[in-house]
Amino acid sequence: MTAPRSVLVVGESLAGTTAVRHLRTLGYTGPVTLIGAEKHGAYSRPPLSKVVLKDPAADRTLGLALDGLDVDVIRSAAVAADTRCRTVTTADGRQVGYEALIVATGAHARRLAASGQRGEVVLRTLDDARLLRARLADAGSAIVIGAGFLGMEVASACAARGIPVTVVDTDRPLERILGDHLSSAITTRAAAYGIRFVQATGLATLAGDPVSGVALPDGTELTADLVVTCAGEVPCVGWLAGTGLADRLGVGIDDACATTVPGVFAAGDVTYLRGDGAGPDRRAPFWSNAVAQGRTAAASALGLPPPGPAQDDYFWTEVAGLTVKIVGRLPLLGEPTTVQGNMTDGRALLTWSHVDGTSTAVAYGLRKPVAALRALAATSLPPSP
Amino acid sequence: MKVSVDYARCEGHGLCAEQAPGVFTLDDDAELTHHFEGAEIPDEHRTASRAAVNTCPVSALRVLS
Repeated sequence: MTAPRSVLVVGESLAGTTAVRHLRTLGYTGPVTLIGAEKHGAYSRPPLSKVVLKDPAADRTLGLALDGLDVDVIRSAAVAADTRCRTVTTADGRQVGYEALIVATGAHARRLAASGQRGEVVLRTLDDARLLRARLADAGSAIVIGAGFLGMEVASACAARGIPVTVVDTDRPLERILGDHLSSAITTRAAAYGIRFVQATGLATLAGDPVSGVALPDGTELTADLVVTCAGEVPCVGWLAGTGLADRLGVGIDDACATTVPGVFAAGDVTYLRGDGAGPDRRAPFWSNAVAQGRTAAASALGLPPPGPAQDDYFWTEVAGLTVKIVGRLPLLGEPTTVQGNMTDGRALLTWSHVDGTSTAVAYGLRKPVAALRALAATSLPPSP
Repeated sequence: MKVSVDYARCEGHGLCAEQAPGVFTLDDDAELTHHFEGAEIPDEHRTASRAAVNTCPVSALRVLS
C-alpha cells in the first residue's frame, strides 16, 4: 500500500498529537493537518487532577509541543464529516479534505445536572481545573460524586487542603477498577487522610439550583460548599453524525485502530475496542491507551503494521498522598500472588498472576519505573512462600 | 535544543527512557539521569527527545530552546 496523499487528524488531544508526531517519526512527508477545538492548544490532562489543583505555576507546564513537525493546525471545532467525499467541516466554515482520517476528539465530562440546573462542577479541561482550584481556595466543605480515579484524586486534593470531603458512589473507592484487595487498603488510607465515604444504593442526583448538595436514593440529602461531579466521560462524537462511525460507546476500533469505514482510523478516549467472539465491546479511556492508539492509528493510516498492541495497560493515580502505579490487566480479583513490603506503611510491591501466564504488577507508594513493572507483568510469578 | 527536567515533579514513570533511551535512563529506584543536562541534545536524539517531552505524564520535561 502506498502512503496516503494527505492525513487529517481531528482532535488536538494526547492521542491526536501522538498520532501527528508518529506520522513524522515513521517518515511520512506528505501534508498533515490537525483540527483542534482547544483554545490553549494540546495539553497534558493527568496533572489537572493532581499538581494543577495545588499549584497555579503548573498551568504553564502542560503544553504538548508540536514544534518541528510541519503540521497545519486549525483551531476550530470539527462540526461535520463526510466520509464519502472525505472532507471534514469546521465551525469557522472551512472544509478540509483528506485521504486518511484519524479521529481523536476525546471525551466530555459526564454531567448529572438536570436541564437548567446551574453550578455543576466537573473536571476535564484546563478551564475546569482552574475553576475548581479557585473554588477549593474558599470552600469549607466538599462532596465528590464518583469514587473512581478522578473522584478520589479530587477528594485527595480537598483533604490535602484541610477541607472536609465526602465521596459518594454505589461501589467502594476504586473497587470497580482495582478490585477488593486494593480498594480496601485505599479506603482505609483515605479515611485516615480525611476522606469520608458514603456508599449509595443507587444513582445520586444533584440538589439545589445552583447546585448545593446531593440527594441519595434512600432520601438522604447531603450539602456542601462545593460539589464536584466525577462520573465518567462521554465520547465527543456529535460531529460524526450520519457517518455511521459512532454509536453510544464512541467510535469502534479494532487492534489496528481501524474503524468500519475505509480510510478512517481512531485513537484515544473517543474510541472503544470492538468485541469479537471472545469478549464484549469495551471502552478503556486511559492515558496509556491514548498514547498506544495514537501511534497505532498513525501506522495504520500509512498502511504500515502497528508498532504494538492498541492497548497498553498502564495506570497510575495519586490517592490520599500516595502514588499507585499499575501495569497489567484489571480488575484484580482475590488476594495478591506476591507481596513485598507493607501496605499499611504505604510501601509495597504486589503482583497478581493470571491464567494466561501474564501478571499485573502494582507499585503501591513505591517508586518504580514503568519498565520494571512491565518486566514483572510479562512473567507469571510463583506464589510467595 | 536543550531539555530540562523538573526533578521535584518527576514521579519516575520512566516513559521518557522508553522514548529516548540515549538521553534518559532510570535506575531500579526510578531515579532519573538526564545525559545532556544543561547541554545541547545531539541531532540524532532530537526527535526522540521531543517524543519524550510529550509523553511525560506529569509534564516534568521542557524543551528550552
